[in-house]
Amino acid sequence: MSEIVLTGEVKSKKKKKRVDPEIGVSLSWKTLKAQKQLIFMSVPIAIYLIIFSYVPVWGWLMAFQNYRPALSFWKQDWVGLQQFRFLFQDDAFLGVLRNTIAMSFINLVLGFVTAIALALLLNEIKVRFFKRTVQTISYLPHFLSWVIAAGIVATSLSVDDGIVNTVLMKLHLIDQPVMWLSKGHYFWGIVGLSNVWKEVGWNTIIYLAAITSIDPSLYEAASIDGAGRFHKMRYVTLPGIKSTFIILLIMNIGHILDAGFEVQYLLGNGLVVDWSQTIDIFVLKYGISMGNYSLATAAGIFKTIVSVILVFIANSIAKRLGEERLV
Amino acid sequence: MKTEVKSQFRLEPVVFHTLNTLFMLIVVIVTLYPFLHTMAISFNDGSDSLKGGVYVWPHTWTLQNYKAVFVSGTIYHAAFISVSRTVISTVLGVFLTTMLAYTLAQPHYIFRKKISMLFILTMYFNAGLIPNYFLIKDLGLRNSFWVYILPGLVSAFNLIVIRTYIRSLPGSLVESAKIDGAGDFRIFWRIVFPLCTPVLATIALFIAVGSWNSWFDTFLYASSEQNLSSLQYEMMKLLGSTMSTNNDPSMMAGANTNQTQAMVTPASIQAAITIVTAMPILFVYPFLQRYFVVGLNLGSVKE
Amino acid sequence: MRKKVKRSLIVLCIGMISTALLLSGCSGSGKTSGGGSAAESSGDDTKPITLSVFMDAPGQQPTADNKIYKLIKEKTGVSLNMEFLVGDLQQKLGVMIAGGDYPDLISGNDKLINAGAYIPLEDLIEKYAPNLKKHYAEVWNQMKDPKDGHIYVLPSYGVYTGSVHDTTYQGPGFYLQKDVLKEMGYPTPKTLEEYFDIIAKYKAKHPDMIGFETLNFDWRVFPLQNAPEHLSGHPNDGGVIVDNNKAQIFADKDIAKTYYKKLNEVNAQGLLDKEAFVQNYDQYLAKIASGRVIGMFDQHWNFQDGENSLISQGKIGSTYVGFPLMYPGAKEYYRDRGGLNLNRGFGISVKAKDPVRIIKFMDALMTEDWQKTLQWGIKGEDYEVKEDGTFYRTPEQRKNADNNTWKLANKADSFFGYMPKMQGSYSDGNATDPGTQPQEFYDSLKPYDQEILKAYNHKTWAEFFKEPGPNPVYFPAYTIILEDGSAAQLASTKLNDLSVKYLPKAIMASPSEFDSVWQDYVNQIHKLDIKAYEDRMNEQIQWRIENWSSK
Repeated sequence: MSEIVLTGEVKSKKKKKRVDPEIGVSLSWKTLKAQKQLIFMSVPIAIYLIIFSYVPVWGWLMAFQNYRPALSFWKQDWVGLQQFRFLFQDDAFLGVLRNTIAMSFINLVLGFVTAIALALLLNEIKVRFFKRTVQTISYLPHFLSWVIAAGIVATSLSVDDGIVNTVLMKLHLIDQPVMWLSKGHYFWGIVGLSNVWKEVGWNTIIYLAAITSIDPSLYEAASIDGAGRFHKMRYVTLPGIKSTFIILLIMNIGHILDAGFEVQYLLGNGLVVDWSQTIDIFVLKYGISMGNYSLATAAGIFKTIVSVILVFIANSIAKRLGEERLV
Repeated sequence: MKTEVKSQFRLEPVVFHTLNTLFMLIVVIVTLYPFLHTMAISFNDGSDSLKGGVYVWPHTWTLQNYKAVFVSGTIYHAAFISVSRTVISTVLGVFLTTMLAYTLAQPHYIFRKKISMLFILTMYFNAGLIPNYFLIKDLGLRNSFWVYILPGLVSAFNLIVIRTYIRSLPGSLVESAKIDGAGDFRIFWRIVFPLCTPVLATIALFIAVGSWNSWFDTFLYASSEQNLSSLQYEMMKLLGSTMSTNNDPSMMAGANTNQTQAMVTPASIQAAITIVTAMPILFVYPFLQRYFVVGLNLGSVKE
Repeated sequence: MRKKVKRSLIVLCIGMISTALLLSGCSGSGKTSGGGSAAESSGDDTKPITLSVFMDAPGQQPTADNKIYKLIKEKTGVSLNMEFLVGDLQQKLGVMIAGGDYPDLISGNDKLINAGAYIPLEDLIEKYAPNLKKHYAEVWNQMKDPKDGHIYVLPSYGVYTGSVHDTTYQGPGFYLQKDVLKEMGYPTPKTLEEYFDIIAKYKAKHPDMIGFETLNFDWRVFPLQNAPEHLSGHPNDGGVIVDNNKAQIFADKDIAKTYYKKLNEVNAQGLLDKEAFVQNYDQYLAKIASGRVIGMFDQHWNFQDGENSLISQGKIGSTYVGFPLMYPGAKEYYRDRGGLNLNRGFGISVKAKDPVRIIKFMDALMTEDWQKTLQWGIKGEDYEVKEDGTFYRTPEQRKNADNNTWKLANKADSFFGYMPKMQGSYSDGNATDPGTQPQEFYDSLKPYDQEILKAYNHKTWAEFFKEPGPNPVYFPAYTIILEDGSAAQLASTKLNDLSVKYLPKAIMASPSEFDSVWQDYVNQIHKLDIKAYEDRMNEQIQWRIENWSSK
């Protein structure tokens, strides 16, 4: 195989990608036989998946019961939509939903922007040792539990010699220490930044891998054309990781209702409770800790429905724009 | 920085690299701090740490926290279990996920859409604690080592990431191999798999870290079998017991308040635990980084 | 070529690891089945048997050669395969109950009782366990399940024999630093006014100090929420006060408003820690450990870690003494006689193969000899005996007893914590455990402590609080179980949510706004189904009065 083939391929890539790869194949013995290797390589794994992920979905029936673990499944009390009603009719639920979506959205945007930016800048470092060191160090916080991480965040934000207040005072940006964690309207931002701090290095890894799939000759070609550094980032690197970015984006849009609970629980307090409670905290408090598995299941079903709808909307938008997509 | 964008001035590389290096140093400081802090706490006397003021260097050195971690003889076997499950999960997981991703990246494959959909949906639902427990129980996996391997073997997220990568590879390679009469498995194993090295390194890291860090499966499915206890689970046990002796009023009722000695606190133990459990897995990334080289995949084909 | 070698190496490695695992797995199951077969006959009381045990609190596996467990095995033939809680109890219980996978002995839990996980114990005790029968004679009726009258769980704490010595005090109180007391001439504050007056005067002289501290974090909300019930002369009943055997919530009552209004004033004076409502538990402890906090309302055990840190820094003057503050005219009820630890301790599960053997084993450990071994340790190793028969420990032995590592090899605390136990004193007059032996207490006091005690003319810290009379029959109300998913439980959870949210708001409001925030809070409370909560409490209190009055 020669370089010429490869460059030729890359150059025609744009055109080829627009073509929908879906080529009508009908289900017949002939195709089955022709694709028997593909079938052997995939169907057993699919069966495995059905067993481990789909079989237990019978448990969703619990959402329509008042499930008590002590009784056998068929002796349970069927209550129809009562669990869903409890969920949606609670005064707090709307606020909780708002907080969840807001924090997820902030995490999504900040997470993507910072990870891609860091990946691009890391990619510019020419000293390999320095680059690898920065990469490795930046992913360290991922390995700390939220208990430790939140402890550090809380200490840093303290009015009592907290580093954030000290620095801001030195810079004369504030005249007296601010009690960051007591103000509801700072809470989402604090959670968002904490997430960036903890996960940015980890999130970068996948883009760094994607960057490796870019053909170096494209950079060379761009250089010959007189493109500058930022030009190359814009017209070579970013398009090169675009498919990864879009796929991750579509997948993450489906997790908009999963804002988690740990960091909110650990940083939250009575004064910001209207901003800090998420669906997961709500479910933990009124579901699991009261032994109400049915409520937890009902909330899970609600989240699934929302997720699947969002993912398919995002997917069809991607399809219309001719971008990489999930299905 | 923005003003530099358009200029083609020769000074640009110098300015850019200086700024970029400065920026990276800030990133390093901000992300290294929590780890150094945890390390400092882990080597510091617990009651001294409690009053604050320990940042990146211990005040009162002690090995007490580490002694508390290693005192129980069970953690060596647990570490063996953790290493085993991580290695097996990673190798099997990477192989199977890539194989499946390869088939799903073939536009002509008849079950492509169906199987893709089947996997994608799993990212957005969870059957719940109790149904999953019954499944594991009915499959006879309770108190079996395989409960660590089988349930999470092929994850949809990893599958999609690899599939995306395979799709971005030059299709002509596969085409020409097909013309040569190679079967799909052969193409996958000989051509696609080696080409995927960078993304496989990434996925291997994801699987390894996930497997290494998990304790919930031990908690649910293997908690009564000490021989299957994983390192993380032993550490959770230790942390829990440190916290509870400090929390249970009935235990404290007879406690002697006037003791003077170095003591461990939940926070100091947790710091030591974090260092002990994170250290081994931290070295996986630097090791995998050598597969993250631009153009590596294409180079290997050129040979 | 190189690649091939690498791959086959990996395959080989996996093969080896898997084989090793299979082998270790086999040996593991071999052990347990051996124990099971031995359990079949209950005739021989010392035949080796392995009991599986689950405890619903975290704990650490003792070392393999732990001397107490070894002794238990030698004398009774019983080895214990213990599982401690890791992670979330509710999730654990959910799968345990759903799967019906119970060990032989399980720590008490009302969810498990409702699920029918335990066997009734009355007949077994009657027939096979004379020591247990004697031990629980006084409280026999209290142990019965409110639903069906069976005894499922043997309470681990709260049965006293002989005289009871309180030395330290772990309960609720308004605490002040010892240095503050000394400098202010050993005052004895009796009301909130006097207490905050002391704090104000001291802080005026030492402006760097934090005046008053409190905590509103996670489940540790009692430093903020519980003060009103004690100020108004009620014992610690949790979220309710009980007058004439009738329970009601107090969060919305005047006794609460008075206290929080006072805190609001105190905050306006700058005496309350600005960060009190934002901080987490670690930050709270850090402030106490820094020696900068003049006083707080809390239960002593909750800030013990901070105090331990002060002690190891040698700052005895910054440790605390508690005072029972009262509203005018109220009668003190801070200290209480520990109630029976209902539904805690062990029950025998329906899956146990040989319940008779198990109850005999538990009975065997109820002799004074065994209790001494379990609580004091082994004579000559863990404690010494004076000529007059008094038990004492050398400084070395005392130090050991505080050392976790040592305890894992030499004590059976984690298991014994759930077992029936003697409390108070033995027939020879020694306290049941070293912590309550009066002489042990004196010997461990620092000179500074002795000075403070002398100034107040007290011998122990407990004496700062009034000696408790007999408990009301129902006491304590906080052990009443709110059934899962009931309206009562929901109301109680929501009430707590409101307190967590509104109390900080009210206290930090400017004094002129306090009343409107408070009114808001009360209105929100009244929207809840408080009646369901109070009804449940009252129904259970009545039940206890009817069934517990007779012995």
